[in-house]
Amino acid sequence: MNFLRAVFARLERLPRGGVFSLLLVMLPSAGTVLAADSPGAATASPAVLEFVPPVAGTYELQRIMAATDGRVLDINGNTHDLSEFTGGKVTLLSFIYSSCADASGCPYAYVVFHQMQTRLERNPRLAGRVRLVSLSFDPKRDTPEVLALYAGDNAKAGRPVEWKFLTTGSVRELLPILNGFGQDVFLDMDPATGKHRGTYSHVLKIFLIDRARTVREIYTTAYLMPDMVYNDILTLLLEEGLKLE
Amino acid sequence: MFNSKSGFLLPKIRTVALSVVMALGATALPATTQADETSCSPFTPLIMGQEEFVYVWTLGVEGVGDGSDKLVTVDVNPKSKTFGKVIASLSVGGRNEAHHVGLSDDRRYLWGGGLDTSHIFIFDVHTDPAKPKLVKVVKDFVEKSGGIVGPHTFYATPGRMIITGLSNNKDHGGVTAHVVYNNKGEFVNTVHIPTTEMNGVKGDGYNYDVAINPKKNVMLSTSFTGWNNYMMDLGKMVKDPEAMKRFGNTSVMWDYKTMKPIKVFSTPGAPLEARWSWNKGDNWAVTTTALTSNIWVYAQDMQGDWQAHNVGTIGNPADIPLPVDISITNDGKGLWINTFMDGTSRFWDFSDRMHPKELYKKKIGSQVNMVSQSYDGKRVYYTSSLLGNWDKKGADDEQYLKMFYWDGKELKEGFSLDFYKEKLGRAHHMKFQVRDMSKLKPLHAANTGLDSLSLVMRETADK
Repeated sequence: MNFLRAVFARLERLPRGGVFSLLLVMLPSAGTVLAADSPGAATASPAVLEFVPPVAGTYELQRIMAATDGRVLDINGNTHDLSEFTGGKVTLLSFIYSSCADASGCPYAYVVFHQMQTRLERNPRLAGRVRLVSLSFDPKRDTPEVLALYAGDNAKAGRPVEWKFLTTGSVRELLPILNGFGQDVFLDMDPATGKHRGTYSHVLKIFLIDRARTVREIYTTAYLMPDMVYNDILTLLLEEGLKLE
Repeated sequence: MFNSKSGFLLPKIRTVALSVVMALGATALPATTQADETSCSPFTPLIMGQEEFVYVWTLGVEGVGDGSDKLVTVDVNPKSKTFGKVIASLSVGGRNEAHHVGLSDDRRYLWGGGLDTSHIFIFDVHTDPAKPKLVKVVKDFVEKSGGIVGPHTFYATPGRMIITGLSNNKDHGGVTAHVVYNNKGEFVNTVHIPTTEMNGVKGDGYNYDVAINPKKNVMLSTSFTGWNNYMMDLGKMVKDPEAMKRFGNTSVMWDYKTMKPIKVFSTPGAPLEARWSWNKGDNWAVTTTALTSNIWVYAQDMQGDWQAHNVGTIGNPADIPLPVDISITNDGKGLWINTFMDGTSRFWDFSDRMHPKELYKKKIGSQVNMVSQSYDGKRVYYTSSLLGNWDKKGADDEQYLKMFYWDGKELKEGFSLDFYKEKLGRAHHMKFQVRDMSKLKPLHAANTGLDSLSLVMRETADK
């Protein structure tokens, strides 16, 4: 329980928004699993990734694939091409759904994104150069109105590092986007009734996309360290010719 | 993933599509199966329960069936009426020196390579896992990679496949590279194996297998031999002193993120399969050398530098038992080591990894090459073929898939399939599959996620 208290104490230092309140609902289940799986974690949670990330600009990120396009809705219900939110800036994109309670999934992505936004906004040279995108794979429930609540202040206009919360108008519009990025999503079914429980199974993936809409890195639960993501973002900005000093 | 616009075949419907359609009220998914195995990439969802299918990448043999390489599907669900039987055989047409296969990071596709033609075959193994479908043949591997030949290991990373080359098209020797393709089957880049001196050891440029430890951001690669040797008759090669000099004697630790070599190790005698212990908290890897019969363990010293330790000898090296495939238990406490020449599988106790001991051995057949165990280690599968021109001749050329139950003390045969009687060919590499992949997760993903979340929370507070 010490771990849970520590998590809540740190969460309370984060700005309040829609996601914040949802995280408070989610984290008890995360803590319960942690206590069962990692009895020693209450006082000293292990740092899973045990390395110092390479220095930004000393390496080249692979050009993995072109970022997929598609039709999306913003939190105001306006229709856009997804490419409006994957080009022109370095973009960090993840697929989420607002009622996700899997601590290794959406809440984890949220915390990483929040930290990125906060860290990047501290450097005025990075203003307007980086974008965060959370795209829902639950269009039925994640309407623009629901996503607006979920986004809270994170999506506030005029922030130096914008954070877009997007959904789609239908499953038909969503599927080509999921397929294009290679994001798996499975329905959680109730074996007794055969009906959808309302939750989804998915392996978290976060896509780093350069300003030319090429995917340059894909992070997963097993390989996601905020310092590494930060350095990768800087590496792409340095590649564009940005001077950090 | 594959679409007609780019010249690929279009699969009927992806499971994800099925899944999301079901959110709108369509039919139900099959019952959940949890599952895992220890040689897969840590980025690939693993089967921790009962595997249902074994795919065997099989070399075509002239006069046997259609004579072509094929992907053979065997039903290994003990509750099935066709348990232990071949339920599908997908011929790719022609012989390519079929060798290894690897699952994509979403476990939806199985990539198989041909060491002779350098063709890569991509099979859809999720639309109907009982009946894989060939969806793409990559024929530009040599051209796109800048002359790399012999795609060997297929090791999934997020959205990509690292493919180890064994040779090159200039001299067909062993100097080669890693080649990266994306999941759409498109070339990404080529990373050459070091040939210069690092840390006092000269790289030989040879390659064989890779294995990644994401926690340490490192990748271990090993080394074998080039096309000139692996396509030569084994009997002829061992009598050729010059040919016998052309084997890899090094292994390399890489920075996985940057794909830059960190250190070259002297590990003489063709170090082959690379495996990391996945036991939580472990950060060591193991390989065995084919020609010198040694076991090497890689671990960090007190300063954090990676070191290679020669920790054991397999059989009598003077007899050249030829250690081939290995399979590590999920807790890193045990290692199966196959020796090809005597057809024997040996179980080594790795409780003390620096002083491992052989506990058990059993003759599996006249020759044995690959070994794959279920995640719980209770079922161990074996196949027979090493290379088309290296397999034994005459009656000793047994070709099979065999499954044994392992109780910690003894192997007891569950079933055996004669690949010649079945008119299939030479049985080589195996991978497992299940029907329902919805609950499969990459290794330790749940724990890792929780650990990582707490780490990120700490960093959030600190920064």
